[in-house]
Amino acid sequence: MTAAKVTARYLSVLAVLVVVLFPMYWVLVNSFKTLPELTSLTPTFWPHTFTLESYTRLFDQVPFVTYFWNSTYVALGATAITLVLSSLAAYSVYRCRYRGREVLFRLFMSSYIFPRVLLLIPLYIGFSRLHLIDTLNGLIIVNVTMIAPFSVWMLHAFFTGVPLELEDAAMVDGASRLQVLVKIFLPLSAQGLAALGLNAFLMTWTEYLFALTFIISEAHKTLPVGMAQFLQEYNIDWGLLMSSSVLIAIPPSILFAFAGRWFIKGLTAGAIK
Amino acid sequence: MVSSWRRIAERWQRDPYFGYWLVLPLVVWTLLTIVYPVFDAVRLSVLNVGFVGTVGRFVGLENYVTLLTGQEFWHTAWVTLLWTVLNVALQLLAALVAALVLNQEFWGREFARNWIILPWLFPSIVLATMGKWMLDPTLGVINYLLLKSGLVHAPISFLGTGTLAILTVTVVNAWHWFPFFAVIILAALQTIPKELSESAEIDGAAYLARLLYVELPSIGQVLYVVIFLSSLWASNIFDVIWLLTRGGPLYATTTFPILIYYKAFQEYRISQAAAVSMPMLLVLLVYGVWYMRRFMRGDAEGATT
Repeated sequence: MTAAKVTARYLSVLAVLVVVLFPMYWVLVNSFKTLPELTSLTPTFWPHTFTLESYTRLFDQVPFVTYFWNSTYVALGATAITLVLSSLAAYSVYRCRYRGREVLFRLFMSSYIFPRVLLLIPLYIGFSRLHLIDTLNGLIIVNVTMIAPFSVWMLHAFFTGVPLELEDAAMVDGASRLQVLVKIFLPLSAQGLAALGLNAFLMTWTEYLFALTFIISEAHKTLPVGMAQFLQEYNIDWGLLMSSSVLIAIPPSILFAFAGRWFIKGLTAGAIK
Repeated sequence: MVSSWRRIAERWQRDPYFGYWLVLPLVVWTLLTIVYPVFDAVRLSVLNVGFVGTVGRFVGLENYVTLLTGQEFWHTAWVTLLWTVLNVALQLLAALVAALVLNQEFWGREFARNWIILPWLFPSIVLATMGKWMLDPTLGVINYLLLKSGLVHAPISFLGTGTLAILTVTVVNAWHWFPFFAVIILAALQTIPKELSESAEIDGAAYLARLLYVELPSIGQVLYVVIFLSSLWASNIFDVIWLLTRGGPLYATTTFPILIYYKAFQEYRISQAAAVSMPMLLVLLVYGVWYMRRFMRGDAEGATT
């Protein structure tokens, strides 16, 4: 291979990296600038004076901790429920034999055609009758609805990979079907469950439309909705936006570092097979 | 008590309907939170409910007539179509280029191939922050660099005019989505047998020829899936548009999700908003079924598995 070819190859990789990384770098460095430097007309590519001012203001001036906790609660709740509902349903449609299985399977698969914004109004009306508006539990329910059917699809690659003989052998040994499912099957597909959990957490953590409309009081706002208040039309608080953008990106990135490779496996196995 | 529970558990497990019981919770959940609400939306669309909590009167098809004879609906339909086409085009192009680049042999490729997805992990408020901040006419780094390099003589207001605004939001949104699709395309590229692309190279095929005759045809099926998902998801997007432009300037970025939200929660016309969502559902369903039949293997299962 010629030197020119190698150079071209690394330059192309560099170009992709710049497009992906520069916006992140730009928010990160700006989160450490003082307010005058942040809003100076000549941007600096590295902070002249390094300060945590934008971060401390998140804790002193706005209920950032409350938003963060609300988001965590909703994301964990929705993830837990999705894990149970979707793994049971996926076991059923991928591993059991019964009439109507095919129909159910296709129904879950095609749920992604369905426009989610359509549920906004009827769910709002229904939830207000049930006093679920302005509650975090209401948000958990909506998020599970958005994620669970699609999650069944994500488990396909993992659930069809476990050999049937393993289950049969355990049954011969006298284990009940439920024991086989919980003690043998689910641990064997732990990667799939991790992928599903990551997806559910991510989707809920980033959800904006339903959190914006269903939550009214400041005490119940989630992080994206709380942060959006720093981005008012005529009054943008750039400092708070920079620091909170950095912090809101941390939990998904940490989880991805752990379960990312299985997540990508679940994602791509479905699409390319 | 304990023994009766045990008996129930045992009976349940011998049940030939074991499969049904397992899938039941998700089916019930879906019926209550998707199927029933859709019927409720149909009901609401023939009433005249304004604020939430008020009881509407039956008005028949009045909402639909108002909608379909007015300009607003057709303008929104046009913007939604334009937005979707622009998004699919840019996302597909960027994802394909990124996947081809990352499919090469280079130092650190395993790491890059997994972590390219990073932008997709970020909430839309982070995208909106990045977009507004980098493209700001006075403080933005993009305008600073453009002015400094002499490419422009006055700062560009990227979200200021209609045409520019829809393009700008498309670019910001594509930055979020292209890594997701790049990962899928990349996985497909890696299933192409090495011998295939290598033999093409020995034959002296130029890069472009290899791309056109070996790589693209081998991943055609995946590209169809990517176009499908990207078009469905783009037409549904609310947050990035709302956070960057609120549907403006002058409705230039008002797509259906924006219009539905605006009517229901800013104008307090719940029934009209419900009526807007019905044609949207119909068009998407027809499109979805048509696309799957036309471009993807036979049935829903073939399309996704």
